[in-house]
Amino acid sequence: MFKNFRLAMAWLHTWFGLVLGFVLMAVFFFGSLSVFDREIDRWAIPASRFEPQPMPSFDKVLRPVFESMQPQQESLDYLKPRVNGPLPERFDTVRAWGAYTTHRDPVLGIYANYEVPNVKDHDDVAYATRTIDPRSGASLPDDRLKIGSRFFYPLHYSLNFHWMDLGYWIVGMAAMVMLIALVSGVVMHRKIFREFFTFRPKKATQRSALDLHNMTGVLALPFHFFFAFTGLVIFAGIYFPVTHTQLNPLHELHEKLEAQETGLPHDRAGVAAPLASVDAMVAEAQRRWAAKGMAGEVGYLGLTHVGDSNGYVSVYRAGTDRIALTGQGIHFKASTGAVIREEPAPTAVARVGEFLTGLHLQHFRHWMLRWLYVFGGLMGCVCIATGFIFFVEKRKKQHAKQGSQGSRAVDALAVTTVTGMLIAAAGMLIANRLLPDALPSGWPPRGDLEQYLFWAGWALAMLHAFARGGVVAQGGINPAWREQCYAVAAMAVAAVGLNWATTGDHLLKTVGEHYWPVAGVDLFLLAGAALAVLAARMVSARAMRAADAAAASPLQGTADITDMAASAAQKKEAAHA
Amino acid sequence: MRDALMLAAALAVCLAGMGWLALAMDVHWEQVRGAGQPHGAARRLRWLGAVALAAGLALCLGVDHASMAALVWIMALGASAIVVAMVLTWRPRLLQALAWAGGR
Repeated sequence: MFKNFRLAMAWLHTWFGLVLGFVLMAVFFFGSLSVFDREIDRWAIPASRFEPQPMPSFDKVLRPVFESMQPQQESLDYLKPRVNGPLPERFDTVRAWGAYTTHRDPVLGIYANYEVPNVKDHDDVAYATRTIDPRSGASLPDDRLKIGSRFFYPLHYSLNFHWMDLGYWIVGMAAMVMLIALVSGVVMHRKIFREFFTFRPKKATQRSALDLHNMTGVLALPFHFFFAFTGLVIFAGIYFPVTHTQLNPLHELHEKLEAQETGLPHDRAGVAAPLASVDAMVAEAQRRWAAKGMAGEVGYLGLTHVGDSNGYVSVYRAGTDRIALTGQGIHFKASTGAVIREEPAPTAVARVGEFLTGLHLQHFRHWMLRWLYVFGGLMGCVCIATGFIFFVEKRKKQHAKQGSQGSRAVDALAVTTVTGMLIAAAGMLIANRLLPDALPSGWPPRGDLEQYLFWAGWALAMLHAFARGGVVAQGGINPAWREQCYAVAAMAVAAVGLNWATTGDHLLKTVGEHYWPVAGVDLFLLAGAALAVLAARMVSARAMRAADAAAASPLQGTADITDMAASAAQKKEAAHA
Repeated sequence: MRDALMLAAALAVCLAGMGWLALAMDVHWEQVRGAGQPHGAARRLRWLGAVALAAGLALCLGVDHASMAALVWIMALGASAIVVAMVLTWRPRLLQALAWAGGR
């Protein structure tokens, strides 16, 4: 089918990259934003704009909150068809309580799982989640959306498309294609080292887009490779769900054997027992970490089989100074506070696993590395976007002659996924600041409304991109690029202004107080606006030059001639290779 | 503070290292100096670049746990390479500051 391996790789790279590139664009962009998901949460929920807090006292703060919790409606709706008979009014048998925090969390997310009587599959539990202010235990309103950690972040790995878990599968497929595109890209790239530092913006768009595509792909290659790979590792359990399908009995047996080995009971004993002071257990855990020279804060606190004589409390150290999320777990008997088990050092394999997932999920404290990740992610976006531009530039003249709409469609989709995505994100932030605190009755919850507006903004940008794309079918530049760049700039500035108007937190104040979570989001928005204006002006200049060239030579612009010369040279080289 | 300074130094030597590696290439040397490379310059620049990048790793290891330092270093390499490429595109003369190492 192909004359040589390189041409086969080029075909693979072009077509797989094109189709899943649109998904990858969103994955890379929202992944970059997720590096600062908790900071975006601060911006979106002004009530949570205070300093990060350590894990609060369980006995004084968390226990009353946990005891007041009951499964949420969403969980009950899911369970209704999965039990024999009706669901109970109240759920009093707690399977687990848990709280997880990092060095960047002012508010604390907690969850509870409850045993469900008469359930068909005993793995099913009723669950409840809540966000509290750890200083007082007060709950935050349920309808506030944590835009960073509950919308942008899940968008990054599931596209927020949960029907049959399809979102996870599409993103997983895209990650596989990313790995394929990296390998095939290296194979088809002739001058990796010779053009390592090469970017020639003054050449024809096709050439300079390819330069930028190669450069951002090659120079950030380790980043791209590791993030696509570790992303797949993190969700391997979803992609290969063997433990709960073919190997289910084995999995059950393994859990029971593990429970015997570790002394952590697998099931409830059915005998009620009181709960000793959890604060004392936490203090003991911290004393043991300090004795090992690893003094640290609590990252995860969990209680299993609450209220039962088999109940136990698990305390994990926050991995603030490590790549691993948490570690050094110590488990206590809930009724007495006696240590049941101190987890041994992880095996080499476990350590590799922790490193691979930890480097992707990044809950450690390292601001420079965080920014380098954002940079890497944005380089990925540039790489994909320039890939689209190259695809269109290479074909649009040809398509114009043939009367094909192919490059017009690809270009409009590129506008949608590049600038349209920014419009959607900025629009969501604006909606977050403009929607009233209390919505009229009968309206959807505030957070849901923000999500609808996000998708609506994106859909509008897509309509606009397709409507304005007629020029591309004649070999020109879609004016939607320029118009949407200006829209992005205006919306980003508006979001910063609205943050000031609605919360009083303007940049002088947040920077002066060193409140970087909010100042950082504002500064990022302003920098984005400046870049968008710059991009819009460069697109205008290019469009003008192309128009002048077309006027000067009605048959062929100068850009075309260099393009043709370049492609002729390429063909010659390909023939030699 | 000490950590921040060491990380800044790590970034700086990675940047310099990538700059020297770029200057070791004929095309880029010409972009910066406007003339061909002196004899033996490429070798010298390549060595210097490699040593600078290694020094960057050492500085990263001085700040963080090895697992994290390796990540910081790899990311710093990529970022410095892109910065050097952008400097070569828009302000090649800035790299004059590093060209002394190639000799006259």
